[in-house]
Amino acid sequence: MNDATQFEPKILAYVCNWCTYLGADLAGTTRLEYPPNIRIVRLPCTGRIDFNLLVKAFEVGADAVLVSGCHPGDCHYTSGNYHARRRWILFRELLDLLGFDLERIHFTWISAAEGKKFQQVVTDITEKTRKLGPYTELYAAAPALAKDLPQPQSKPFQLQTFATENKLRAEARKLLAEGTVKVVIGYGERGPVLVTRPEDADRLVWNNRSTANLAMYLKRKEVNALGKAAIVVKACDERSLVVLEKESQFERKDLHVIGMACDGMEQPRCANCAVRTPRFADTTVGQLPDQTPTPRPGKLDSLMEMSRGERMAFWVQEFDRCVKCYACRQVCSMCYCERCIVDKNQPISIDPAPGTKGNFAWHIARAFHLAGRCIGCGACAQACPVGIDLGLLNMQLARAAKKHFGYQAGVDPSAELLVGAFSQQDKEEFIG
Amino acid sequence: MANIYKPELMEVIAVRQQTIDVKSVALRFLDPERARTFSFQVGQFGIFSVFGYGESTFNICSSSNWKDRIEFCFRKVGRVTEAMWKIEVGDVIGFRGPYGNGYPMDVWKGHDLIFLGGGIAMPPIRCAIWYALENRADFGEITVVYGARTVADLVYVDELAEWAKHERVRVVTCVDPGGETPDWKGDIGFVPTVFERAQVSSKDPVVLVIGPPIMIKNTLPVLRKMAISPASVYTSLENRMKCGVGKCGRCNVGSHYVCKEGPVLTMEHLQQLPLDY
Amino acid sequence: MSELITESKLRQLAGEWISGGRRVVGPVRIKDRVLYRPLQSPEPLLIESTPGGSVRPANSIKEFFFPKLETLYQYRTRGRNIELIEPAQEFAEQLIIAARPCDAAALPILDHVFNWDFADDFYNRRRAATTIVTVACSVADESCFCTSVGLAPDDARGSDAILLTLGSGRYEVRCITQKGRALFSGKTETSEESGKAAPAPERKFDPGKIRAFVDGHFEDALWAEHGRTCMACGVCAFSCPTCHCFDIVDAGAVAGNARVRTWDTCQFPIFTLHASGHNPRALQPARQRQRILHKFSIYPEKFGEILCTGCGNCVRNCPVGLGVLNMLTEIQHGQHL
Repeated sequence: MNDATQFEPKILAYVCNWCTYLGADLAGTTRLEYPPNIRIVRLPCTGRIDFNLLVKAFEVGADAVLVSGCHPGDCHYTSGNYHARRRWILFRELLDLLGFDLERIHFTWISAAEGKKFQQVVTDITEKTRKLGPYTELYAAAPALAKDLPQPQSKPFQLQTFATENKLRAEARKLLAEGTVKVVIGYGERGPVLVTRPEDADRLVWNNRSTANLAMYLKRKEVNALGKAAIVVKACDERSLVVLEKESQFERKDLHVIGMACDGMEQPRCANCAVRTPRFADTTVGQLPDQTPTPRPGKLDSLMEMSRGERMAFWVQEFDRCVKCYACRQVCSMCYCERCIVDKNQPISIDPAPGTKGNFAWHIARAFHLAGRCIGCGACAQACPVGIDLGLLNMQLARAAKKHFGYQAGVDPSAELLVGAFSQQDKEEFIG
Repeated sequence: MANIYKPELMEVIAVRQQTIDVKSVALRFLDPERARTFSFQVGQFGIFSVFGYGESTFNICSSSNWKDRIEFCFRKVGRVTEAMWKIEVGDVIGFRGPYGNGYPMDVWKGHDLIFLGGGIAMPPIRCAIWYALENRADFGEITVVYGARTVADLVYVDELAEWAKHERVRVVTCVDPGGETPDWKGDIGFVPTVFERAQVSSKDPVVLVIGPPIMIKNTLPVLRKMAISPASVYTSLENRMKCGVGKCGRCNVGSHYVCKEGPVLTMEHLQQLPLDY
Repeated sequence: MSELITESKLRQLAGEWISGGRRVVGPVRIKDRVLYRPLQSPEPLLIESTPGGSVRPANSIKEFFFPKLETLYQYRTRGRNIELIEPAQEFAEQLIIAARPCDAAALPILDHVFNWDFADDFYNRRRAATTIVTVACSVADESCFCTSVGLAPDDARGSDAILLTLGSGRYEVRCITQKGRALFSGKTETSEESGKAAPAPERKFDPGKIRAFVDGHFEDALWAEHGRTCMACGVCAFSCPTCHCFDIVDAGAVAGNARVRTWDTCQFPIFTLHASGHNPRALQPARQRQRILHKFSIYPEKFGEILCTGCGNCVRNCPVGLGVLNMLTEIQHGQHL
């Protein structure tokens, strides 16, 4: 008998029905003993495993999570496990940034014939987790650990000439007067404006406050109802258009793109700017050659240099301020779902309440749903009323996309989308 | 501390399936003292909840004269009602209420009553009908015109038959054209049309009409032709609700808070409100 | 004759209040923002706005009376038995230091709705347990419009005590209520000087004109013209001192078997969405209209008060530069009237 005071870890396993579940069955029918600490959740395929289920496992008190499915090439649905693998590669990086203990998250391929392997894996994980102890650091508030990040320097802005602004207004006036477009989505004095009459073209401005990514208006029913639109974009914003078009959110012929050459807007992301003139615009105003950015260590590097516990304490402190205003989602051009997952209640997948669990679950979902899609416009972080460093979540995933797949969102219109695709060569050194 | 959001615990004493997606439930208070002191006015609503799933707003569709129970009727459409669909006799659910205003029975006293309802709108009418039948001497002729899309969508079918047996009560049941079955003996047509055909003659009646907006819209001209003033025509509004006590800010139609100053109001009043519902 | 206190004395007192076990809240710098946050020590407390800095915190003090997340009760199921577990009955004493007049004045305004026939004791008990010490504004910016809604930079409405700057880190202390006196009695020095506030920003609109417009123009092109750029987030409502709409959520076992109240806003698309799929306010212009209607017509009709203190948070924080002010000034000056 076990010592009554010995810690018994709780392990939650998400397994696919066709391989690992049958492998577990085989372990049972061939009388291979394995620890009773494991609770198995059966799904049709690893490809169906929503990443937020991993987080949920910890939310309900698991000390470790196992995700297991068919070997690559053996998936009952042909490619479900390839999709899963690609997502896991990226998702681990996000969890790492947030300070989750990756030692408590396990991925394996276990086939229906591998009863022995199932027994081995479960025994190993149970013992390993027993040594790690209960997962008390999850979402632990540790004010002493939470450190501030250094604020980056931004590049000084060269004031654009008035000639550029006038050219923009003239173009807008012409497009509206000729009826080529019904609305011009552009920058106004106070914020974005939707100009529908040629005589209102003077409301458009072009200055160092034209930082917003106006592609966010392409998802709005109220704007689409007006008719064909012209949109003012900088080269960085244009990458949103590349992604959105690739994701079939608009037809290129239905949008008139007015591209503005831009020399920087004093935003942190401007330091990494390489392409300064939009490449695919119908009308281009101004011309600036490409440049080589000098990347310098920023907040993300500082954060990744901290210990895991410090990182989690940092995020607990950040998310403590989140009020679930969803400004981050609303201003994002790529957040265009008719009904966001956090607003759905059959079932409630993401706790909508602004407590610790709900806030972590939301920001993990938001960041991961943008994996390989976010173009780094920074609108989310800028919109946040309480100054959460949201951009770091997206940046981590963008780095992971670059590191593991050589992929950058919105750059190459002919490249296939990252998370929707997979390769049989995707690396799996973390999978057992 | 008085917790105005805390529900009372109710035991389910009866569950009745009315249609393929509608059930009616009867409840009694777990606390016998509360059962003794509780009272409400027909027309008021309650917020019923399934613990673990959430709360939902329904009219209390039983007569206020019934002291041993309260009833509500719901259609299975979302998270809470899907959970409610599974409740059985003996289960415990939550109840907050009674909220809102009721039908002004003191104003309706002495008048003929005309009840017009469509589909799932029968429950808020049902309580008023039972109340009127139980206080028969207070009211004149009673006419009920009730219709649904198909025969299978009619609720409280047995009670409709029972009401027709009472003195000076006329019940007309109808289904939309195409919704009839081969053995359907009732009327065929939309409620406003069937109502007009019914040629109800009454001097100064009170009308309660509840149903989908299109039904109400088409009923008003018929009432006008009968020279019934909008001040004598009542309806019960519904809107999305959460708190039921006027604080969460979501159920207002213009400045009219459905949970506090409604849901019962006259057509005259409704026509003054903005199109915010 | 007036009462005077120095900034260092005020910080020393704050330190005593904190170590004495009260929850003390005040404006602090968080990265590039200033927010009201509970204080662990008096050092980070920002008493006044610095010239060129932010005029007021980007959030409001309502979260200390009406938190973003409030557990209404928990439930425990044992077979068919349900037990309801009420939250703690006692609310710890709170002290808010260096609130702005536009924050303090919001509380008497909110008292109406939280006590409209049904008394919300979660709110009321926190009100009773909190003392608000306001600092009169010495600067205003173009988003401020307190004077348009009947307030002023030195208005003491809702405050238990108000501090007016005398310059050089000294403040005149005016105790308004018993709570204020209890806090400061014996802690101040008498003085001949009188503090003053910033000159009042000029009035930008007449609330009467606004109300007449919204009451008579439920359908008007203005709502779309000016509401179309709104991105339907909750920043304005959540940083507003007077917005009070909320949701009641029951997320089951995973969320701790509790029914909770969370902030909600009429700007969210699903705010008025019926289970049937019908949405009375299906597009953003209708939601923007509701905001103005609620604050400038409905609340005044019900309770005799405008549901706005002119703090300007909505204007400053809006990710697309909206907030209520542009619509209000357009109504004031537009051709509609």
